[in-house]
Amino acid sequence: MQGEICNEYKRRVLSIQSHVVSGYVGNKAAVFPLQLLGFDVDIINSVNFSNHTGYPNGWEGSVMDGGTLLKMVEGLERNGLLISDFPEGEETYCGNGGVGARIGRIGNILTGYIGSESFLHSVVTVVQKLKSLNPHCRYVCDPVLGDRGKFYVPQELVDIYKNEADVITPNQFEIEQLTGIDIKSIEDAKNACRILHNLGVSLVLITSIILPDTENEVSVDKSIVEEYGDGTKATPPRNSIGMFVSRRRTQQIDSNQSTQQKSFDGESEQHYCEEEQYVLYTPKLPGFFTGTGDVCAALCLGWTAELNEHIVDQDGLSLGTFLEKLAGTMHAIVQRTAQNAMNKQSRYPDESSGEEMSRKVSSFELKLIQSRDDILQPPRSFRAVKLQ
Amino acid sequence: MEGEICNEYKRRVLSIQSHVVSGYVGNKAAVFPLQLLGFDVDIINSVDFSNHTGYPNGWEGSVMDGDTLLKMVDGLERNGLLLSDFPEGEEEFCGKDGDGARIGRIGNVLTGYIGSESFLHSVVTVVQKLKALNPKCRYVCDPVLGDRGKFYVPPELVDIYKKEVLPLADVITPNQFEIEQLTGIDIQTIADAQNACRILHNLGVSLVLITSIIFPGTEINDPIDNTMVEKPGDGTEATPPPNSIGMFVSRRRTQQKTMCQTMQQQNIDSEQEQHCCEEEQYVLYTPKLPGFFTGTGDVCAALCLGWTAELNDHVVDDGLSLGDFLEKLAGESR
Repeated sequence: MQGEICNEYKRRVLSIQSHVVSGYVGNKAAVFPLQLLGFDVDIINSVNFSNHTGYPNGWEGSVMDGGTLLKMVEGLERNGLLISDFPEGEETYCGNGGVGARIGRIGNILTGYIGSESFLHSVVTVVQKLKSLNPHCRYVCDPVLGDRGKFYVPQELVDIYKNEADVITPNQFEIEQLTGIDIKSIEDAKNACRILHNLGVSLVLITSIILPDTENEVSVDKSIVEEYGDGTKATPPRNSIGMFVSRRRTQQIDSNQSTQQKSFDGESEQHYCEEEQYVLYTPKLPGFFTGTGDVCAALCLGWTAELNEHIVDQDGLSLGTFLEKLAGTMHAIVQRTAQNAMNKQSRYPDESSGEEMSRKVSSFELKLIQSRDDILQPPRSFRAVKLQ
Repeated sequence: MEGEICNEYKRRVLSIQSHVVSGYVGNKAAVFPLQLLGFDVDIINSVDFSNHTGYPNGWEGSVMDGDTLLKMVDGLERNGLLLSDFPEGEEEFCGKDGDGARIGRIGNVLTGYIGSESFLHSVVTVVQKLKALNPKCRYVCDPVLGDRGKFYVPPELVDIYKKEVLPLADVITPNQFEIEQLTGIDIQTIADAQNACRILHNLGVSLVLITSIIFPGTEINDPIDNTMVEKPGDGTEATPPPNSIGMFVSRRRTQQKTMCQTMQQQNIDSEQEQHCCEEEQYVLYTPKLPGFFTGTGDVCAALCLGWTAELNDHVVDDGLSLGDFLEKLAGESR
């Protein structure tokens, strides 16, 4: 019971994302999966639109500015909604040293698309406030900058993301922008992640990588992986997209002598670090799906919330298992969406017609609700490969 | 497959309610249950607050006005988001005579607390529009006026509900105070509850769920249908246990007279000689729990929508009777 109360913060998320009346992007995409996974989600809608901005006939609605974001959080604070509720006297059990101060009850923050520098600065202020209320609070940041070579937001925002996040879920374009590394191989992906780890990001999930079409040789951990070809190479299959996850755990040097130790720089001599990476390939599906990154970041938050302290959690949940669950569920959602879109749009020859364009865009809205069983029981369709 | 596509409108809801950042009232209370039950919910947040208004240190945020509501719906309309998507040529399977018009894809509208006349008028406009696009669109209305003798909203809204909203509503989920305001009937007995519901049925409301009734502390003798209910006491009386709250549901189904041969026929008034009506009511008692819970009405209305969405045409649907519905609802509400 005390354990439950002390850990309540782990099951609460503050999600600051867009709201659309119809369709599944932003909070509409992120919140339902998190609620299904048992999280209380405090929802701040950074914009309030009728539909996402990819529709041919525009949208209606309004945008929240940085000042209003801070006011909303202040409203929560005034009413004690940022702080835990454990009974008086329980503080010592929850590790508070009997000081009696209540700790922050929001254990996770999730952000996605942010369209202005002013709003981003306010987000940072909120993150810093919640972390000061509870040092265990994790900031899961989907650094939405753009995709396939085009920016959604001003380039000045790029630096801000790197410094605050605990978990970051960039796509290939975004991590290339954040690190300056052009990813042509798995090795490049590792190095890009390492740059972010050195800034303090514990977990990096590259949500989609398209590697050049030649064989990429990577060394794999034979004890964990089924043999691919001759057992030491992991070749991206043709027409596939890679997902890549990298985690660094840092611990003080006098605890746990028996785990592998690597020092990364002189400042870390009091600590040692442990890194692990996994890669996984899924088939490319035809079509352009809006909102998948938002679902992905939410599932990443949800399934890594308990990962913090262990490489292999009691339930056998390793980082590789996490990646397999994520890929399986995302693929199921996208496939269901693609199937539905195909059933409906076999006859849209005239895309210049506004109505036909609208139908096409709306037919690709994620079948998120219909995929709830896939979120609760992720299909294990793909195998993650651990890297050496 | 065609059946699935033709019936997609039944699994989509437009929910127009409050949003709070933290806590569970309004859309925060209603949407998740509906999504769990497999509904796509289009969400219009009528207010955007940090927390509900019962907190001691106020709230932050803003309120949507009636014009903005209409604009948001207009944005959906422009982008074809009010219309179904079935493939060209499927319309005849969906009962459209092949004329190719796409029907409305929102099969349910849900509203709760509404704080101003202007917003309520805009809600009426939106419901009318969606029903014009799809005559099967159901309006599930939680007529939030107040509770236990006190108004939460300006009392002027009562007339607007009676004159403009109720005639559009297919399902209504008032508490005892609200149905008393809407019908003028003071509910002291089950028979009073039946009569109050009948007034609403006569306005066109198919299903009335009175979410909580507190009867005077005396025994209520009530004839019940022996074939349906386990026998408490001597089998012909249903007595509210002490310290309990009643939930009451009443449904009227109206069909053209030619369809009525096998069903029990009751003419309710002479205007309906072309139709016959079938009514059924259930009552259920749950223990009163201590405390004051905000948001329960919103969850209740959402579950009511979700579990009655398939009830429309059959008294017993896959074994789901109106009584089963009430039992599920009461069980979940605890």
